[in-house]
Amino acid sequence: MDFDFSFLAEYSGVLWRGLLTTLQFVGIAVVLGLIWGFLLSMGRTSANKGLYWVTTIYVEFFRGTPVLVQLFWIFFCLPLFLGVELSGFTSAVIALSLYSGAITSESFRAALKSIEASQFDACTALGLPQGVQTVFVILPQAVLRAIPNLLSNVVSLFKESALVSAVGMADLMYVGQNIANNVARPIEILTAIALIYFAIGFPLTRAVSLVEGRLLKVVKA
Amino acid sequence: MAFVEIDGLVKRYGSLSIFEGFDLHMENADRLVLIGPSGCGKSTLLRCMMGLEDIAGGTIRLGGDGYIQGAEDGRMTLDKRVQKDVGMVFQHYTLFPHLSVLGNLCLAPVRSRGVKKSEAKDKALGLLERFGLAERANFYPSQLSGGQKQRVAIARALMLDPKLMLFDEVTSALDPELVVEVENTMMELAEGGMPMMIVTHDMHFARSIATKVVFQERGKVIEAAAPDDLFSNPQQERTRDFLRNVLHIAG
Repeated sequence: MDFDFSFLAEYSGVLWRGLLTTLQFVGIAVVLGLIWGFLLSMGRTSANKGLYWVTTIYVEFFRGTPVLVQLFWIFFCLPLFLGVELSGFTSAVIALSLYSGAITSESFRAALKSIEASQFDACTALGLPQGVQTVFVILPQAVLRAIPNLLSNVVSLFKESALVSAVGMADLMYVGQNIANNVARPIEILTAIALIYFAIGFPLTRAVSLVEGRLLKVVKA
Repeated sequence: MAFVEIDGLVKRYGSLSIFEGFDLHMENADRLVLIGPSGCGKSTLLRCMMGLEDIAGGTIRLGGDGYIQGAEDGRMTLDKRVQKDVGMVFQHYTLFPHLSVLGNLCLAPVRSRGVKKSEAKDKALGLLERFGLAERANFYPSQLSGGQKQRVAIARALMLDPKLMLFDEVTSALDPELVVEVENTMMELAEGGMPMMIVTHDMHFARSIATKVVFQERGKVIEAAAPDDLFSNPQQERTRDFLRNVLHIAG
């Protein structure tokens, strides 16, 4: 077997556009997932039984089913219910946002639960009203504590995003597969794709450990 | 009418009973130190007074106003004045880790008392100055020593001008060389006439700061007396046993 990576230069433009597409919809899904996940975590920690159950079932459902199935469902089935065509991009953003919302809500919830009871005692002893306690004491700490987890969720989502190629969206993975089919050189092209994912994923994982170390120092008083 | 009146206090954790009708009175000029074996309810008593625990019966009054009224069904009545009039310092500092020292001090006055930010800040800086912590105003709790954290916690409670301060084993988590700075701060408060209730295992400190020492065991007051009397001439056999044990251990 002989390997030839030189032909890749010719495709660099297409690969670059594929990567940009990936980064674009992952970026949107991360932001939407953060907001959605935060709202879900409020429901999950709420004293309201109805709210608790609805959000819990949602989260468990999305955590307990394959992302690929969710993606297919949004892409093929949802349009039948809505009566409108959804583009690959829109489907991908919806599916990944719904999924990442479920995962993110768990990170927020764990962070909220990790706030020591003594912090609540201190608030009571200072006579802080419930709203002040939540907004100025509990939430800021929960968000700080959730950051390392949220970042690793981003890394996972970035990697899982390769699945959207299955619904024909021209992301990095899809572009790669196309090139591989055209030039019949799957080894070189798939290796290159893996390296590109790694080149972005690895610094992100390193950033997670770094942030984790720093934040823990601040948050553990 | 005494300054603090606890009458018939009942406190249970599930089937575990801590108090079944506990009485304790304290005068305005008193600094009352609670001593006793661990698990006898000293800390629980302070937590009940602060409104941190549901009490199943009895009343706790401060300055003649009934502010906590226990109830068997777990729906005790709690007058919000309790948190206005009583300040508490805990064993594990419980500072807010995401806020600077100034932020910790100013949060409650600004956000729940409607004090102007600038006023709260001036007051906070004054307190920090008094405690020798002025240059730490913009530090975060994680950058402070245990002793400094605890003194900040004391300052934070004082920001609300409490009429009574509760200290729950505030030096127990500290390295021995840091205990003195916190005890000195408490002594300074004592000299300023602040009424206090203190739970401590440090008998020497108890003797020097108290106007009255209460020895309690199994949810009952066994003996209450002026510190010199209680430590030098305890009247009850159980008090003598306890003091012999702890003073022996303490060397």
